[in-house]
Amino acid sequence: MSLTSSAAHLARRAAQRERVRILYRRALKDTLNWAVHRHLFYGDAANLRERFEQHRHVEDLDTIDRMIEDGEATYNKWRHPDPYIVPWAPGGSKFTRNPTPPEGIEIVYNFGREDND
Amino acid sequence: MKSILSHVNLRKPIERWCFAGNECVNMQLRYLCSSAGSGSDLILDRVIALAKNYDKINASKVTETADFQKDLNLDSLDRVELIMALEEEFSVEIPDEKADKLSCCADVAKYIASAKTDQKIVEKP
Repeated sequence: MSLTSSAAHLARRAAQRERVRILYRRALKDTLNWAVHRHLFYGDAANLRERFEQHRHVEDLDTIDRMIEDGEATYNKWRHPDPYIVPWAPGGSKFTRNPTPPEGIEIVYNFGREDND
Repeated sequence: MKSILSHVNLRKPIERWCFAGNECVNMQLRYLCSSAGSGSDLILDRVIALAKNYDKINASKVTETADFQKDLNLDSLDRVELIMALEEEFSVEIPDEKADKLSCCADVAKYIASAKTDQKIVEKP
């Protein structure tokens, strides 16, 4: 009985860890989106890290769940409306612009000279 | 010129040869850009250099296969920060679920190389 309960406990901890990791990752990216200068970002990122570190040693599962939900709510409330997307990634400004030509098509650089010249 | 060459990843002898005959530089560069250069070593070097610069890592411990968590003593949030720095360095987007599985420098370099060829990005000077 205790074995199954501890297994369930561990599984729940792992799921929570994953959620916190993803929340931190998204929040950190969003911090960069909101920062107008790089040097402002460093301070904001340190603050964010501190807010996560405060609760590092919380053990109670329900408390952790509640805090994660709070964190996700805060993240959703302050999400950036126009986040940075890497230009080549889907949604980016260069996505599918100037794609490389398909295999087998090449440009011959002979500078306008024909073969029989 | 030097900055262009650093992007294209020429090997040493070719670089010297290029500088010697200045007019063939353009031709040569185009040729080398279109051929798939061996960029993975360069990527790995950049990954390792960046990991060494990260202030929570002991620079002397960084190797290709050193595990971020076990060997370099990073916790999960540190790893998130490191992966994000790498994403910015290489201008790639690593999906959330994939980011956790990258556990050493060689892994990251391999993933970035594959992402770059998937997107068919040719680095432009």
